[in-house]
Amino acid sequence: MNAAPALLGYAAVVGVAAPSVMVRSAWPHRAPALGVTVWLALMLSFTLAAALAASSLATPTEHLHAGLVGLLHACGLGSGDARPVAPDPSTAGLLATALPGAVFAAVLGAFAHHLIRAGLLRARHRDRLDKVGVRSDRLRATVLPHGTPAAYCLPGFRSRVVVSDAAVRLLTEAQLEAVLEHERSHVSGRHHLPVAATKAFATVFPWVPLARHAREQTAVLVEMIADDRALRSHPDEVLATAMYEIAAGRTPRGAFGAGGTTALLRMRRILGPRRAPHPALRGSVASLAVAAPLLPLLVVCPPGV
Amino acid sequence: MRRLGELEAEIMDRFWRWNRPATVREVVDDINLHRDVAYTTVTTVTSILFHKGHLTRSRDGRVWLYRASASREAYAAALMEDGLGASEDREGALVQFVENLDADEIAALRKALRDVGRRAQQ
Repeated sequence: MNAAPALLGYAAVVGVAAPSVMVRSAWPHRAPALGVTVWLALMLSFTLAAALAASSLATPTEHLHAGLVGLLHACGLGSGDARPVAPDPSTAGLLATALPGAVFAAVLGAFAHHLIRAGLLRARHRDRLDKVGVRSDRLRATVLPHGTPAAYCLPGFRSRVVVSDAAVRLLTEAQLEAVLEHERSHVSGRHHLPVAATKAFATVFPWVPLARHAREQTAVLVEMIADDRALRSHPDEVLATAMYEIAAGRTPRGAFGAGGTTALLRMRRILGPRRAPHPALRGSVASLAVAAPLLPLLVVCPPGV
Repeated sequence: MRRLGELEAEIMDRFWRWNRPATVREVVDDINLHRDVAYTTVTTVTSILFHKGHLTRSRDGRVWLYRASASREAYAAALMEDGLGASEDREGALVQFVENLDADEIAALRKALRDVGRRAQQ
């Protein structure tokens, strides 16, 4: 059996239909961490389906066990000395191994590229920041002398939480703490990793709707995770007013491009009632997230074949 | 490593405050008013700062005269541009708390806050 049509159909579901369902669902904003997990699972699933479909197209007549072993081998998962057990070392057999390997290498390579590039930019920023900024032990942050109220963080290796002295002057002690807690949560939660993963995916599959949606939604969801974290130890109004004060304390951006900002979305969420989705929904979504990456494998190798 | 970063900051701080060309000797003497630091260490770190582009230098007879290549304010402004995501780099290396909003969006935030305040009073 040639699994290619089934795999391509599956890829279409994951790459096109699933994201539009996700974007229209309400639950990801109520359980943002689960939302990020599902986006990552969808991207992994799509990558796997694309890799297996490529392999399947290369060996149209054969069942894909050989290609699959080759794939696992290419990923370093197969047993060390096992050669890909292609029936004959034909070009098709080689392609069946090489194509999925290339798909995975492209995604992993793009991920590494984004991590390294962002890491270098952060290192350069940190190098300058440590000369201009003042480390505050009390705030556990670096204070940057600048007249624009702002707070941001440098996640990753030798992380920094940065706040401008204008923001320190503008905000009350409680508001400032809430903002810094939000930023610290980005650092401790390593939110730059899922964000880099969505960018890597978008680099390799730029035309797939999943890429655009995953990228946009993950960026919003990590903000919501950080908001929730700050709200554990700070009242709603404190974080919300801090957000308003910082936004209003700046020169307004010229209005071009409709909407696109998530500030209002976050503000309403912070101030509104926050209910976690029903445990049953959470459970089924979580199991779906686990199952999604495995499904393409089932298409290729149904149990018992 | 932390020591080295601190010393870099201390040295830059002198050049920014003085805002004139100075020798390593002057820097060492000034730092030594507060704490002991070896001349060779400061020479090394000053040379690192020069190679990173933070300092420029010119020769005055047999000694190098160093000065900051940009003002402290220019550094802070460039960092803030990075921090606000306004610079060329859209790689998202930094994550800021609130993005820059336009006037309508700020008004919408204010309204959301006011509505909650009103509900709380009722």
